[in-house]
Parts: sequence; structure tokens; C-alpha cells
Amino acid sequence: MSGGLIINVGEGTCGIAAGAPEVTELLKKRFPDATFTSVGCIGMCHQEVMVEITNQDGKSYLWGNVSKKNLPKIVRFHRGEADLPEQLLIKSTDNPDTEKSQYLIKQTRIALRNVGELNPTSMAQFQERGGYLAIEKILKGEKPMTPEDVIAEVKIANIRGRGGAGFPAAIKWGFARGAPGDVKYLVCNGDEGDPGAFMDRSLLEGDPHSVLEGMLIAAYAIGASKGYAYIRAEYPLAVEYFGKALEDARSAGYLGKNILGSDFSFDIKIKEGAGAFVCGEETALLSSIEGERGMPRIRPPFPAIKGVFGHPTIINNVETLSNIPWIINNGGSAYAEIGTDQSNGTKVFALAGTIKRGGLVEVPMGMTIRHVLEDIGGGSPTGRPLKAVQLGGPSGGCIPESMFDTLIDYDEIDATGAIMGSGGMVVMDSKSCMVDLARYFLEFTQLESCGKCTFCRIGTTRMKELLTKICEGEGTMEDIETLEELAPNIKQASLCGLGQTAPNPVQTTLKYFRDEYIAHVKDHRCPGGVCKGLITHTIIQKDCTGCSICERYCPVDAIEGTLKKPDTWVIDQQICINCGMCVEVCNPDAILAA
Amino acid sequence: MSNASLEATVDPAEVQGWINNLGTEPSAAVPLLQAVQRAFGYLPRKAMDLIVANTEINASQLFGVATFYAQFRLDPVGRNLIKVCHGTACHVQGADRLNTSLRHILGMKDEEEDTASNGSYTVEDVACIGCCSLAPVMLIGEQAFPNLKGADAQRHLVKHAKTVGEILPGQQDKDDEKGGKS
Repeated sequence: MSGGLIINVGEGTCGIAAGAPEVTELLKKRFPDATFTSVGCIGMCHQEVMVEITNQDGKSYLWGNVSKKNLPKIVRFHRGEADLPEQLLIKSTDNPDTEKSQYLIKQTRIALRNVGELNPTSMAQFQERGGYLAIEKILKGEKPMTPEDVIAEVKIANIRGRGGAGFPAAIKWGFARGAPGDVKYLVCNGDEGDPGAFMDRSLLEGDPHSVLEGMLIAAYAIGASKGYAYIRAEYPLAVEYFGKALEDARSAGYLGKNILGSDFSFDIKIKEGAGAFVCGEETALLSSIEGERGMPRIRPPFPAIKGVFGHPTIINNVETLSNIPWIINNGGSAYAEIGTDQSNGTKVFALAGTIKRGGLVEVPMGMTIRHVLEDIGGGSPTGRPLKAVQLGGPSGGCIPESMFDTLIDYDEIDATGAIMGSGGMVVMDSKSCMVDLARYFLEFTQLESCGKCTFCRIGTTRMKELLTKICEGEGTMEDIETLEELAPNIKQASLCGLGQTAPNPVQTTLKYFRDEYIAHVKDHRCPGGVCKGLITHTIIQKDCTGCSICERYCPVDAIEGTLKKPDTWVIDQQICINCGMCVEVCNPDAILAA
Repeated sequence: MSNASLEATVDPAEVQGWINNLGTEPSAAVPLLQAVQRAFGYLPRKAMDLIVANTEINASQLFGVATFYAQFRLDPVGRNLIKVCHGTACHVQGADRLNTSLRHILGMKDEEEDTASNGSYTVEDVACIGCCSLAPVMLIGEQAFPNLKGADAQRHLVKHAKTVGEILPGQQDKDDEKGGKS
């Protein structure tokens, strides 16, 4: 009965974390004859674990939030023993347009075209979906393309670097093409260090061959013979799958000497990053490849002229590279048609935080932020209104709800004080504290500052100290002024992007949420109820059931009372550290944090 | 507190094997340290000395690299490693509480301490493991646990400790105390 079933299970890092291996194991027991494929993450992280089952009649069903518990319903349905369990269905052949599938329908998937659709370790599946056609077209098509032709096509597409800085890729390639030197390098920057971003992870894990093909094309265009894929060590699955892709491509003749019989030779080595945010910066990344501390260098000379081991080097981001094969296959003008005048094509965002439907989202440039958050992301999951969205991680800034109609466009976003960044989009509702968020980011940049430039090293430390002071309720209005004075100085006196952008989170929160800073300083109050020094936890005895669970979980034994006697339960304010554990475990919501 | 018992025994032949595979030039510094850390969970002094003695990498470069990157640690780890993600999404959704509750049950009271006194578990903060939609997240060994509250983290740890036969110092304290009260 189950012989003809085709079952795809999403087994990216997030799928695995959500329990995909357990589900697969059970499905294999129930349908021993079915054909199983482990696919990358389609990006609907909020629906993990996801399983797509195609029946013998060719009809397919995409199920979401599958667990050990609800799996029997799906199994019975596919055996024809029960009705369709509506609440688990994302979409099916008969019903593609459901509320849940809007998340996918409203996207424009170019960079993510294959992610979640194929087994990332299968080169055959990649080729079935048009993989390696772009490099074939360039090297041995009817009209083979010269490196200059390739650069010209990418120039028409006007794709800007997706790593955050937004520099036009074709111009960068042109520099390296023209640079003197026999040996040139192409580096794929997969050191996605922004906390809150996972676009590159999903691409490397879900569609490694597209990134590889993009690297081939870029290398051909600039005349590189050697390549590095610099991938974060925190992404073990990405390293594994990309390594597999390299092997397969090499044995198929797409990588190595005389690719496809042409005189173009190129090979790639993987370099695992070792956990340093600053290595996302081009020149720091070069130092890291060379085996040194990842410290940025003075530019010029730019890497395009003098990069890895002194040779001309181009460093492109994972997302940029995965767009390139599409541009060659469909033409630069098809890509340029999408988006706005200054920002063409699409952008992938990692949508997370307090949002109903989080995950990977690829949208055309020129869409509003509100559209992404509300129509695709489904808005607030908590019922509380959304307050702000943080773009660009520690280098970026916060955009308040009142400006959600800002267009997704490099220049429009820059004008708000935030940046497009690499694509991290963390959403916050009214129960979050913007001062705490600024403190969080400065703690991060202070820790990650390599220490080379004084203003970055000491400046971020001072900013962090001042923000901590404000969060603890000890701040003064003068501290706010000092923060405002420090910000431009750090930006001006830092060599690399880390220091030049580190004050952004502080500046944007001061610009849009100044009242929260003032509430901390003047009223000793944290409006979001987050800052531990400014809140107290108390038991609302009329709602308490006296179950004692809070006592069990309190890490400092600050809670006391008699079992089943609600009116005896109290929190000792002298001992309480305001960690909030009790609030999380209290079933009747009888603990107030304010 | 001493974790002398957790110190690794370094076999020079093994280190030489990595050097043979990864090369002796300065650019091999990061991969070599990664190989050492993969094997021992940290960078034992003896392994680093062997690298310096048998490659072109000098001690200042090697130590410089080892202390620059977050991945590397110079102290031994506990028998099990817990990584608590502190990416933005995890932070705004209460990752701090995972640390509080884990440290509590592991009996880690000193802020500087990251390994339980009996060497059972080490709790490490990591920048972002890229599962932001499942925040907050922690890893025990290779296994990820999504959408956690502080209490969930504790529950998973208790379960894990039972399977691998570890004793949780903080849990023991609490049980003793309860025993004493009644």
C-alpha cells in the first residue's frame, strides 16, 4: 500500500532541532517501502518539523508542526483510514492556497529557489532543477561568454553585495579582473556572525551547489584559480554538505583542472571560521585565512588588488553568489526588473523574535517592512502590539512601528539610521526593552572588537558600561549625553565596519525610543519590564493556588509558603534576583513582574 | 575548585598526525588548533607546545590565535558540554533564564565558574547557532533543544544526566535540604 509514497522530510539544522530525525524514524517504520529524501529547510521555521508526502496518485501534501504525537493522524490519512487532518496541513495539490501557505506564496524566491526543494547532498537532483546550466552556458554554450561578458551581464542585473555593505558586485569583479597578477583568489564569505541571522546557513545547508556554481562563475569572471569557502564552525551541517558538494562537483568535472574541457581551472578549499564576528569584515577574514588573529587591515590596498597572501582577491557573500547562476540563466535584465531603481532583485531575511510565522523570507526589494512583518510573518503572536524591528544585527538599528512603511531598499533603510545588513530581522513587542537591547548589542561588539583601534576598543567598552548603568537604574541624563557624544567619535576613528557601525543600535534607540531611556533614568522604571534592577516580582495571592512549583524552580530560594495555602506565599525581595523563572512556571499567572 | 581530573593525556603521535595532514605553514594555525580542540574539547598546553616545536608556527602566533577566537578554550571542559545560544532572538526571548536555571541545578554559584564541581557539565554561552525561529535554544552535546523556558532547560538536563549517569550537584543540594526539613 505504501509502496509508491515519496516522503521528503526537512532536515536542516532547525528541522533537526525541532525533532525531524525522530519523525523520520517513525515514518520509516510505518511506511517501510516509501522513498525517503532528506531536504534542506524551506524556511518555514515556525512549522518545523515539516514533512511532504506524495501519494501514488501524484497528489502531494505538505504537513507542518509534525511531531511524534500527531504523526498517527497523518499516517492514517495516507493509508486511507481517516480524514485529512486539516490543522496540520500547510498545502496540498488540491488546496495550494491556504492561510498557512501565504507565507510561501507571497515570497519571490531567487536565491532560495532550491532550498527545501531538493536533497542538498544530491548533485543529480540539483541538475534536474537546472543546476550547472549557467556555467555550461558560459563555457560551452552556443555563444560562449568571455569573462567580460559575464561581468557585463551581472552589471545589468545591478546586484549589490548581500553581506551588508551593498557594494555593486560587478564593479568589484571589474577591479579584480583588471588587477595585475597570475594568481587570483575568490573567497566565499560564509562567516555569518550576526546574531539573529541564518540566511547563509540555510543556503549552504539547503542548496550548496548553487553557492558553488556562483563561485565558479565569479572565479571565471575575475580570473581566479583558487578559492576558499570560509564557513562558520558553528554550522557543522553546512561544512559537511558543502564539502560533499565540492567532492561531487570535482568528480563530475565542474571543479578542478580544465573545467568542462575548457582552459578554465579552479578549485576550492573550505576554511572553517573559529568564532570571531569581526572576520565577516573582508580584510579581517583575509588575516584569518592566513592563520593570524582576525584583525582588519588598512585599505587601500583593497583586497581586489592585494588580498589573500598578497594576491588579488574577491570576497563575495553566500547570498550574492547563489543569485549569480540565476542571473546568467535568466539574464541580467530579468533580475534588474525586480526591485527599486537603486536596489534591484530580492533580499533574503531571517525573520525571528516575537512574530507569528518566523523563518526565511525572500522578498523583492521595494516591499514595505510592514508587508514582510504582517502579511508574511503574520504579525504579533502574543496579542501585544509590535514595537520595533531590529535590522542588521549589531551593526544595524531599530526601526519603530511608526516607520514600518519604509521600503526595503538600501538607501531608504540607511535614511532611518538602520542598515539593510545581511538580513537579520528581529521583531519585538511591547514587552521588550530598547535600552536593554542596545546594551546587549554593545556587550556583543565590545566583546568582538579586535582591539586594534582605540576608539572601538575603549569606546564600545564605555558605551556598554553606561548602558549597563542605565539598565540598572543608576544612570543620569549626563550619561545619555555622553553616549551621544561617543557615538560619532567611535564611527569616525575606527578602521573597519565593526567600529564604524557599532554605535548604530544606541543611536537609533536614542532617536526613536528616547522616552524609554528617560524612564530608566528619571523614573527608575523599565517600561518593557525587562531590566532586572528596575523590576520586582510579587505573588498575587488571590490568583495563587499554593502549588509550590515556583519554590521548586527558584534558583535562590527566595519563595516560601505552605502547600495549598495561597495566602501564605511570598517572595523575599531581599533575596530575589528577578530572574523571572517563577513567572515562567506559574500556571495561574499569579506572579507579577513590574 | 580544581578540575585536574579533566586534564587530557596528549599523545605526541596523534598531534604529529594532524600536522602531517594539515601542514606546517603559518596558515595551518587555525585548522591545527581546531583539530586539537575537536579531540580534547580544549587546547592542552602540551599539544600547543608540540605544534610550536614541529611547525613553522611560533608560540606567539599560536597563542595569539588561540586567545583571539571564541571557539578555542584553554581550560578543560566537563564531561558534557552545554551551549546556550545568546543570539538576538534568544536574548529577547529570555536566554538568560536558561543560564540561571542550568547553573542553579549544576550548583555553580561563582560567576566565573563554567564547569560543575564534579566535572559533569560545562555551560558555555555561544553567539548564535542560527536557529533563531526556535529561540531560545540550547545544545547538550550535539542535540539541540528548541523553544525553551528556564524550567524546560532544567528538565532536559535532568533527563540527560539520568541517561548518561551524571550527578547534578545543585539537584543534590536541594534534595538534601528537603530531606533535612521534613
